[in-house]
Amino acid sequence: MPDVQPLVNGFLSQLKKRKIEGSQATAKQTAEVLRSVISQQRLPHTNQAGALIDAVRAVGEQLIAANPVEIAVGNIVRRVLHIIREEDLSLATDAIAGLGISAGSDDEDDVEQDDHPVLSAAAVAAAARSTLRPPSLQTLLEDMPDSAAVPHTSSSGGESEGKSRSDKGSRGRKLKHDVIEAVNDLIQDISTCHEQIAEQAVEHIHHNEVILTLGSSRTVLEFLCAAKEKKRSFRVFVVEGAPRYQGHVLAKDLAARGLQATVITDSAVFAMISRVNMVIVGAHAVMANGGVIAPVGLNMVALAAQRHAVPFVVLAGSHKLCPLYPHNPEVLLNELRSPSELLDFGEFSDCLDSASGAGSLHVVNPAFDYVPPKLVSLFITDTGGHNPSYMYRLIADYYSADDLVVKGRTTAGS
Amino acid sequence: MWYRSASFILDNRQQNVAALAPDTLSISPPGGTTRTSMADTFQNPNPNPVISAYYQTRAAHHGVITSDWLAQAQAATDQNSDPNAISASDVRVSDPDKPFSVIDEFNDWRKQPDLAEAVAAIRALAAVIRSSKATTMMELEIELKKASDSLKSWDETSISLTAGCDLFMRYVTRTAALEYEDFNSAKSRLIERAEKFGEISYKARKVIAMLAQDFIFDGCTILVHGYSRVVLEVLKLAAQNKKLFRVFCTEGRPDRSGLRLSNELAKLDIPVKLLIDSAVAYTMDEVDMVFVGADGVVESGGIINMMGTYQTALVAHSMNKPVYVAAESYKFARLYPLDQKDLAPAPIPIEFGVPVPSKVEIERSARDYTPPQYLTLLFTDLGVLTPSVVSDELIQLYL
Repeated sequence: MPDVQPLVNGFLSQLKKRKIEGSQATAKQTAEVLRSVISQQRLPHTNQAGALIDAVRAVGEQLIAANPVEIAVGNIVRRVLHIIREEDLSLATDAIAGLGISAGSDDEDDVEQDDHPVLSAAAVAAAARSTLRPPSLQTLLEDMPDSAAVPHTSSSGGESEGKSRSDKGSRGRKLKHDVIEAVNDLIQDISTCHEQIAEQAVEHIHHNEVILTLGSSRTVLEFLCAAKEKKRSFRVFVVEGAPRYQGHVLAKDLAARGLQATVITDSAVFAMISRVNMVIVGAHAVMANGGVIAPVGLNMVALAAQRHAVPFVVLAGSHKLCPLYPHNPEVLLNELRSPSELLDFGEFSDCLDSASGAGSLHVVNPAFDYVPPKLVSLFITDTGGHNPSYMYRLIADYYSADDLVVKGRTTAGS
Repeated sequence: MWYRSASFILDNRQQNVAALAPDTLSISPPGGTTRTSMADTFQNPNPNPVISAYYQTRAAHHGVITSDWLAQAQAATDQNSDPNAISASDVRVSDPDKPFSVIDEFNDWRKQPDLAEAVAAIRALAAVIRSSKATTMMELEIELKKASDSLKSWDETSISLTAGCDLFMRYVTRTAALEYEDFNSAKSRLIERAEKFGEISYKARKVIAMLAQDFIFDGCTILVHGYSRVVLEVLKLAAQNKKLFRVFCTEGRPDRSGLRLSNELAKLDIPVKLLIDSAVAYTMDEVDMVFVGADGVVESGGIINMMGTYQTALVAHSMNKPVYVAAESYKFARLYPLDQKDLAPAPIPIEFGVPVPSKVEIERSARDYTPPQYLTLLFTDLGVLTPSVVSDELIQLYL
């Protein structure tokens, strides 16, 4: 743990100072930091999974607090926690299965453990059914122990069968190894999400279409270029996306790759939307109800698209899926950037001072918009295209219900 | 589940009407005399379908309480709680030699105003198991099925009763009797689980209240329709967390449950404003969100709730206000109503305060169906769900 603290602190300060831009970069770095935490963590003999979970939770809480608006950090922390639980459970079920075979050969243990293999298999099966799936009607009437305690019981269930100490040690090492492998897979997925989304471009973009996009998203760029590679010819309207004007950058990139791009202002969206076939945009984060946290201006584009029955397609890598419900997204999940992007301080400094009593000028520069799920037609993730009302399913696959609130525990062990 | 389709229900309805005894509708105030009229119908396997027993109970529980109703309820629970403790097979005072009746057991449990219908049903079925003389799981299942069917047919209008029975039957048939060599231990496990289910009901309300807290912000105005114990729990917890909000409460004709709710809220020091049911659209622009409970959540993700909920949801939807539903998960039912008339009719007595000429028909239905597109989110003990998740949950359980 002491070895990894400088790394964590470095990352924390980067997050606080907003030095890292973009959810993909943030997600990747978070995963790498957590991987180091896990590999450095010394595990006790009993309840390895609980110790890992506590360690990751403690670091995760700090990371999330450093930049609450960067939702990808919280997503990755929860993904890693889910991975730990999953790997622990699969190890436990393997152990029980292995025991079932070995119990017959072990004469001295046979008598005492007559009932135990049967019951613990049932207990583990019940645990398997209930732990990792979110609570459902099925589990309502079954045993509902603390799900936090279940990794404990399943791992101690494996131990109570009288395995030697060296076996416990090797199980601990195996858990770490499996978890780190899975986290490596996660990092790999994050890095390649653009390619997987871009593969689906051909199904959605057809000849002589007009696509509208806002600002600059690398996912969208890759998506459009992939369609270009497959010899589709289409035009792109790029909305410039004040005040950062990243649309200009995207338009230059598209032109460099041979696509015909037209730059328009934000105010021209309503005028041009009737000539557009499809709107394709990236997202900052996707919430559990299918709502989208997107760069500012996209709510307006979504409303215009709905008004003119234009499909509104959102591209999002799986690290952007967040299991939380937005209850006040315009305020809580938004960030106010520096007003100097809008107005130079020097020109208007006398108006900005309200103490003079001559009238005051406030400049608000929000970074994000919330697009409600009913305005979105389709989500394209690296697993395919989905309805907004289906997002909860993906979230149930990637996250555990216990991890929604990430709070480091003050007491040791779970 | 084709037997729940519209045409089948219509045929069923006609058969019931034909077989009916003459109308024993007595328009009694939602007070003391309701108890005795219900006591008369206990003997009938098919009670008077002109009055829905479920909604009558709710009117009695949640309507404005009169003091002699209180006295009667007290007397009723005292009278029947002792025989319950002594022997589960002897519940009816008049006829001690009659065999155990699950319906009476159910009605005793149901008298407690804080207990949900589904929980009462499951407790009654647990009592069936306890008093059963079966020696194999198959026999026990058959007995339970019979008891469950008789409960369901006793009051066809109560959705949470049906859902609770179905849930328990599903659990019994799915529980690996394979896990247990011994029949007696399986039996005791079933009983233990059923008893625990009662605790779940209370816990469920607490969980739902916690989930809903984030959605209530300071300075918001909440419109509430109908008396739901879950919604009351949500608002109670919000008040305890020192949130500042005010509540608009509809009157809730004909049982005036809204009046009762406003009393409860006033006790908690929450600013309450009473509206007549017709004033919902008038006040909707001041409202930030609508909170309702549910009598049942159907497969499409829509809800069945007290009459007036559909109206409120329509108005809220047209003015872009979110509609939140707070419902426990055992209310999920395998129903798919296509329109309002698809539900089994649940009539209740309605007084207008003035005599109505006999040739004027009165719409007596106690409940309506709100389609899922008008609902924003459902708060359940399974978590915060969008309406489309409901069918997923039901499929996981039943298929």
